[in-house]
Amino acid sequence: MSACPAYDCAVVGGGVMGCTTALWLARAGMRVVLLDRGSLCREASGVNAGTLTMQMTRAALIPYAMRGWELWRTTADWLGMDVGTRVLDGLSVAYTEAEVGMLEARASSRRAAGAPVELVDAARARDIEPGLGDGVRLAGFCPVDGFVVAYLTGRAYRGALLAAGATLQEGRAVTGIDPVDGGFALGTADGGRVEARRVVLAGGVWIQEMASWLGVRLPIQCLVNQLVVTERLPPVMRTILGVANGKLSLKQFDNGTVLVGGGWQGIGRGDPRDGGAEIVPENVIGNLQLAVHAVPRLRDARVLRVWLGYEAETADAMPVVGRLPGFDDAWVIGSVHSGYTSGPYIGRLLADAILERELERPLFDPGRLAGR
Amino acid sequence: MPDAIDLLVLGAGPAGAAAALAAAEHGARTVMVDEALAPGGQVYRAPPMDHRQLGQRALEPEHRDGEALRRRLQCSGVEVATRHRVWSLLPGFRVHAIGPAGHRAWVARAVVLATGTTERVVPFPGWTTPGVIGLAAATILLKSQGAVPGERVVVAGCGPLLAAVGAGLVKAGRAPVAVVDLAGRGEWLRALPAMAARPDLVRRGLGWLAALRRAGVPLLSGHGVVAVEGDTRVTAVRIAPVASDGTPRAERVARRLEADALVIGHGLVPATEATRLLEADHRFVADAGGWIPVLDDDCATSVAGLFAAGDGSGLAGAAAARLQGEIAGLAAARHLGQLDEGRYQHTVAPLRQGLARARRFGQAMARLTAPRPAMVGTIAADTVVCRCEDVTRAEIETAIASGAREMNQLKAWTRCGMGPCQGRMCAETAASLLARHVGGREAAGQWTARAPLRPLPLADMVGEFGYDDIPMPEPAPP
Amino acid sequence: MSTRIETEIARPDTVTIEVDGRPLSAHPGESLAVALLAAGIRALRASPRAGGARGAFCFMGACQECVVTVDGRRVTSCLEPVRAGMRVRLGLG
Repeated sequence: MSACPAYDCAVVGGGVMGCTTALWLARAGMRVVLLDRGSLCREASGVNAGTLTMQMTRAALIPYAMRGWELWRTTADWLGMDVGTRVLDGLSVAYTEAEVGMLEARASSRRAAGAPVELVDAARARDIEPGLGDGVRLAGFCPVDGFVVAYLTGRAYRGALLAAGATLQEGRAVTGIDPVDGGFALGTADGGRVEARRVVLAGGVWIQEMASWLGVRLPIQCLVNQLVVTERLPPVMRTILGVANGKLSLKQFDNGTVLVGGGWQGIGRGDPRDGGAEIVPENVIGNLQLAVHAVPRLRDARVLRVWLGYEAETADAMPVVGRLPGFDDAWVIGSVHSGYTSGPYIGRLLADAILERELERPLFDPGRLAGR
Repeated sequence: MPDAIDLLVLGAGPAGAAAALAAAEHGARTVMVDEALAPGGQVYRAPPMDHRQLGQRALEPEHRDGEALRRRLQCSGVEVATRHRVWSLLPGFRVHAIGPAGHRAWVARAVVLATGTTERVVPFPGWTTPGVIGLAAATILLKSQGAVPGERVVVAGCGPLLAAVGAGLVKAGRAPVAVVDLAGRGEWLRALPAMAARPDLVRRGLGWLAALRRAGVPLLSGHGVVAVEGDTRVTAVRIAPVASDGTPRAERVARRLEADALVIGHGLVPATEATRLLEADHRFVADAGGWIPVLDDDCATSVAGLFAAGDGSGLAGAAAARLQGEIAGLAAARHLGQLDEGRYQHTVAPLRQGLARARRFGQAMARLTAPRPAMVGTIAADTVVCRCEDVTRAEIETAIASGAREMNQLKAWTRCGMGPCQGRMCAETAASLLARHVGGREAAGQWTARAPLRPLPLADMVGEFGYDDIPMPEPAPP
Repeated sequence: MSTRIETEIARPDTVTIEVDGRPLSAHPGESLAVALLAAGIRALRASPRAGGARGAFCFMGACQECVVTVDGRRVTSCLEPVRAGMRVRLGLG
């Protein structure tokens, strides 16, 4: 290591988590470099459904999601660009006895955690969402859901990071990290080397590989979520709509397109992280059937695009955010199941931790999952 | 359950049909899929059912060849699945389609892609006005539908289709107001040596020009369209001479032609969505129309068992497409073990010779038809580039200025290419605009191909079902 | 003058279709876009942001500019054959 590394912190991975962490570190005066093998927010952070939801956020994450929701709502203020965020009523509906049970359990745990979720009957649900079809037995209603136009976030973060003085190295893949005296040396695919006093691993589903560079075993599962979007339609719905089992997320954007998600799985070739993934046509059809069941007028729409987005998940479906076990200056952030809502807040929390500021809320110790 | 077959051919134009016939002849269980009502593709597009073509119309070479092709297919062992839209193509050649009777799925041991082209029009003010149509579109109207695009038609752009469409309009009794050719006479003269390969087609072309002359149609070579007037329909077309870089000079409008339709085309673009979905290697070859799959002499792509033929694999014209298709079909039969190496080589040798000749001619025509590279630079800031999403050149340039460096990023930041045409109408223009800033088309990249290959009605996708029929996965974590 | 070529083509007798509630004569089997063109209907829909008039452009099912609603289904009118009694809704405004 040179006497004085070029950067105070290197962030590896330019999704929402990495970008937010880098942004707040840069704004606090650190010399930050952010490396991504592609462009900012072009993996999970840019291709996911952009749903802001309390009902599908895990109960323990509700306080984080409430703060994250607030940040998404105000990106024009802190990110310098409106990313199309809309606050909408959220509905989670139950069609079967089993789903009613799930809904009641999920709603009560989230209410206990501070989310304003209430249970409503079918008639009230229909008032809230006139687009609903028949068969609803019970619905969870949350007035603080919404969406972000995920594909705009890269553009927003890019501008904000540059304005904050961060160094952006897009299209530069990191291939290894070595602890060196006084920091870390990052090797890149182009044969380069970047030195920094601290390192943040923010590689989403690739965190597992990144941690292994530093000799830490941190198992991260990779889900292959399928997403479907329709052409522009006249208004057919007005809520963020889900089903109690979590297998549907449905919304209509301002431009009239309807996005159908819900975590129906595509399939990887081997580990999808290495070899790519493909759609499962039967799962596309199933996901669309569920969407049409929920909002029958979707039957008249046409499907324009089906794509895949990776989602990282840990064994306990909770995030990994904090110090990489065994290192003072290596940090990790990611793997928040249904964590888009809380993403920017958790990113800011990690920046606070790195800056040794007092934390509003605890992080999620990666040590609980790690081995060597 | 998917049907197990030997060969699936996507696209029933000259290339696809030839491939299917050749493979089926050697015993391959072959299904040929096309979204049209009848096989033939664009060149041999069938007239509507029960619309009888009489007299000279029935003797047009494309009509005769098309009818002959359809008869051959009928007597062949090829299953022709027309009115089927392939919406998913997966490695291992699992193919999903929707037809009149609902979902169809096949698992094929080999695939020939013969997906043809889409037309390229470099945007200009007014190009979205109703009444502006493509040159290839006009040939479909004239030949298959028996219709003309308007009463007073201007024909413009580049390539041999100009004269073909102009002469077709004369024959239909609606001589065009003018034929406006970007190419100067010199460009045509330079193409002459290659054209000698097909004296029959040269004669035909000269016949078109003679028909235009006899009808007194002004032929403005070295001119281009700079704007269309009209709001809900075309009322006039403004024409200007081209500068030395091949671009019409908007500041020097030479004529204003009263018209109610403009037929315009700046060449064709190979449709590579399918080869991209199947992850074949591609390369950018401007003279071949843009991005094309990398093919060997057997029309094989980089993916084992996947072949491509026809204009969709690089522009070379219908004659070349037919020969290429036949080679691809034979190569597929060889891949399937239904044709031994010796017989394969013996059969394809003369086809390859013919192909080389046909290609010389077809590629010369493609060069004449290719847009002038400088043209995208002249697109006005407020002109719409992406018709589906109304994205202007200015919005694209702003995104590039704020850091968009490759096509998928540009799409995300502007919605250019996100609409129902799935990027087919704007990809070339957007990529050319981006390429000017990032060092070329290779650096700009391509939009990732996605299923479905065409917009698909949800009604067709989901069919009739009850809630219990939905194959629900495990619930999300509590 | 019609935009249909009248010589050397024997078409089936016309049938009636309905376009935005008004009857229209067309030949069965011909492309709906061609039937609309022959009736002088060129603007088929409005563009999403600028609201500009759009009509059939590529006539081969690629550009999607000619999409209309036929009997409740959104279809490319250039590829849709005319059938007696079909109810067409244009996508304007």
